[in-house]
Amino acid sequence: MSPDNQAAARVAVAPPSHAFVPAPKTPKVANAGLFRVIVIGLLAIAVLAPVGLIVYQSFLNAPFFSARAKLSLDAYAYVLNDPSFYKALGTTAMFAFGMVAVAVPLGGILAFLITRTDIRFKRTLEVLVLVPMFISSIVLAFGYTVSIGPTGFLSLFVRDIIGFVPWNIYNLPGMIVIAGLSHVPHVYLYVSAAMKNLPSDLEEAARTSGANIWQVSRDVTLPMVLPSLIFAASLNILLGFETFGIPLVLGDPNGIMVLTTYIYKLTTLFGTPTYQLMAVVAMVLVLITIPLVWMQRRLLRNSRRYAALGGKGARVSTLKLGRGGQITALSVIALWLFVSVGLPVGGITVRAFVNAWGEGVNLFSQLTFANFDGLLEVPSLVRGMINTMILSVVGGALAVGIYLLIGLAGHRNNGISNTVLDYIVLLPRALPGLIVGLAFFWVFLFIPLLTPLRPTLISLFVAYVVVGLSYGLRLLQGTLIQVAPELEESARTTGATIGRTWRDVVIPIVRPGLAGAWALIMIIFLREYATGVYLMGAGTEVIGSLMVSLLQTGAMSTIAALALISIIMTGAGLALALRLGARIHD
Amino acid sequence: MKLAYASSLLVLAMAATTSVAQELPPYYPADYAALIEAAKAEGTVNVYTSTDSANSQAMLDAFTAKYGIQVAYNDLGTNGAYNQVISEAAAGQVTADVVWSSAMDLQMTLIMDGYSDKYQTPEWESIPSWALYDNQLWATTVEPIGLIYNTNALSEDRIPKTRAELIAFFNDNQAELDGKVATFDPEKSGTGFLHHTNDARQTTDWWDLARAMGANHVKTYSSSGSMKETVVSGENVIAVNIIGSYGLQWVEESPNLGVAFATDYTPAFSRLALITKGAPHPNAAKLFVDFMLSKEGQEALASGGLPSVREDTTTGLNINSLNERVGGGLRPIFVDEGLLEYMDPTKRVGFFNEWKAAIGL
Repeated sequence: MSPDNQAAARVAVAPPSHAFVPAPKTPKVANAGLFRVIVIGLLAIAVLAPVGLIVYQSFLNAPFFSARAKLSLDAYAYVLNDPSFYKALGTTAMFAFGMVAVAVPLGGILAFLITRTDIRFKRTLEVLVLVPMFISSIVLAFGYTVSIGPTGFLSLFVRDIIGFVPWNIYNLPGMIVIAGLSHVPHVYLYVSAAMKNLPSDLEEAARTSGANIWQVSRDVTLPMVLPSLIFAASLNILLGFETFGIPLVLGDPNGIMVLTTYIYKLTTLFGTPTYQLMAVVAMVLVLITIPLVWMQRRLLRNSRRYAALGGKGARVSTLKLGRGGQITALSVIALWLFVSVGLPVGGITVRAFVNAWGEGVNLFSQLTFANFDGLLEVPSLVRGMINTMILSVVGGALAVGIYLLIGLAGHRNNGISNTVLDYIVLLPRALPGLIVGLAFFWVFLFIPLLTPLRPTLISLFVAYVVVGLSYGLRLLQGTLIQVAPELEESARTTGATIGRTWRDVVIPIVRPGLAGAWALIMIIFLREYATGVYLMGAGTEVIGSLMVSLLQTGAMSTIAALALISIIMTGAGLALALRLGARIHD
Repeated sequence: MKLAYASSLLVLAMAATTSVAQELPPYYPADYAALIEAAKAEGTVNVYTSTDSANSQAMLDAFTAKYGIQVAYNDLGTNGAYNQVISEAAAGQVTADVVWSSAMDLQMTLIMDGYSDKYQTPEWESIPSWALYDNQLWATTVEPIGLIYNTNALSEDRIPKTRAELIAFFNDNQAELDGKVATFDPEKSGTGFLHHTNDARQTTDWWDLARAMGANHVKTYSSSGSMKETVVSGENVIAVNIIGSYGLQWVEESPNLGVAFATDYTPAFSRLALITKGAPHPNAAKLFVDFMLSKEGQEALASGGLPSVREDTTTGLNINSLNERVGGGLRPIFVDEGLLEYMDPTKRVGFFNEWKAAIGL
């Protein structure tokens, strides 16, 4: 339920940073060791407190704070004997694997076109292909119902021409295609990183001996990036297991239930919330996730070793697509962007400016600004917009600082603490955002020193930092790794401590990268919705969670207007990111 | 600095009090001014609610304008409000003063589990006896449960007038309605659960209706608003057991939407308020509850589309004009222990099983 793209980072942070560079020759000294222990220790507390609470809750028969709560396996017994659970599990598996079948080939093709060929508008495309990642899945799903739902404007347009609507987004295949298309960037990110490191001499050799582009990509490039493709596939299976917005909006009304919407149902099924059952399902998600993550770590180690064979700095010359190839490639990308960005954003935009749509409604006669007038009259919504800005702009900057400290703690660190760090970072991503948020709500309520922070934005900020950890840390580690080790080594040989080396050498060099990371984390915090649902209160509303809360009464006009505002804010954030020269790709 | 601020507040407060005191209805107790004074000293009231601000903002603004007391308004949803109240109580960190929720059964559960405080509101004689429970729970609205339909797909004269006609309508028009009927999913929506189980308690033909909807492959949703969206767009043509007070507002905005109520039986639910035990601002909480139930507060709520439980209000709908509007069959869900009937797990599971069998899941 938390931003899917954060998981994109999940495993990139996993490989020890030394995989890229020669092992450091500098001796470990006390100040850095202490720093590492403190930072990693604090992080462990911040992550393990809420996660531990969930584990504990799953073994109780009542809310952990209830006088009736006793250790019990009843919750496990209930869930594991509930036919709906298995049905949801099966649907989730189909959904996740289906999504992979759509996203991986497309993401691979995109990566090939953009990194290995002379496709035109490359600089623009490198950014555009990531845009689907920045739209929250709940907004995405709403947008699709308005544009290509049974009575969406595009559906009706097509029906008027050919007599019927040739698609259905309310069944499992429809949901799979939509989710698959929107997860293409997650595949692209990893595969393109791998492809960039490939030497081009093999491809050139194939080309000169007469192979066409298709043959080159299939017989030369594909085998070389296979590990990263498999890795991207397993990553997307994880994301598929955690998807919430798309099944909630598109599947729920038609009885299609996945594990995350099953958890959602458990909040009402028994009248009063059954936290122990929700915790059990969360545990199931963790148990499914952990072996996948372990597998990814192994795969990634191999793929890095594989790619490194080419040697760093090998010149990459691009394959010529030719005129026909250019047109075909650009058309495919344009079509994909139209479907995965144009349709949902178009749908949300239309809905934000009308109060009636669909069958027999002329949209132009319905145009109105009323949905936005309504927004400004309600203080909580106005506060929500302001808070979201504060959290993403200021909170995003602070988060970069925190991730930098964590990144430094793991920088050129081969010790066991780094392995610990890897797993801590992954834990919060294995849990749905709604549950992480609920656990943090309890942490801030029941731990005496923290209680004054609960009604402030700080509680949301802490939860956001933890939920955004994997993505944020990956950004920072990506930046840190670019500092040539010689620079640090020369500082150390002239007598600088590790702390001083970081302060005077590493941080000044990575400063431009920090600005870009700030802009990207800003976007991640902007689109977050599930984490704040239980944490926000009067005065600490945020847009994403307000949308979830409004969803309970179904105030769609307000939701559409808020969604459009959040898309516009995201667009502004993305523009800023580009201006600041964010290194979106490694 | 702080002192100056506090004293200026005090001056403001005193200035406001004198003007308010004169406006109080004659049946308010003589010492009510002291309550107002104490409430103002508290300065703020924390409300945990499931009601969107869009419906309540007028009432909140009127309260703050009248007493100068800020309302910290937490729209948490029914489950969110319940969850926060029990969690805060367990942590000894009670923050909520007033819980105002449409989940009538959860509110009654909070009362029974001892999370509330008693208070006799001076407004008690102005609201119906069914709307009060033991000086702990007060119905602040009366909202009809009805159906909405797409006027392009169904003309007004075809819309059934009674429950029996509705069942016949579903049974007789399957070719036209199949896959285009919507209602609440009682498993995923507490509101839907309340609407459906109330029908099961109050009527004899509920399961006939459920089967008739099932014959049309009814689709189930977790909110009235998401059903409205599908009916407006024509994806569904009719939605049953939705919150009719919203429906009455929506037909004003959406030209292709109609709303209808059964003349023989229109159940109505209420948003219930309670004051929490250990409320940090107990006086402000009492003042807020009194204001919500007062003529002024009820009119402000009615102006936001939430009909009044009183008979003497003139803005928007009140219980009498609403009964006329729905055709005379208004049957409010009483605020009593009957609300707890389906909180019993066995009865609950039994209901779900019967429901799923009836709609063919």
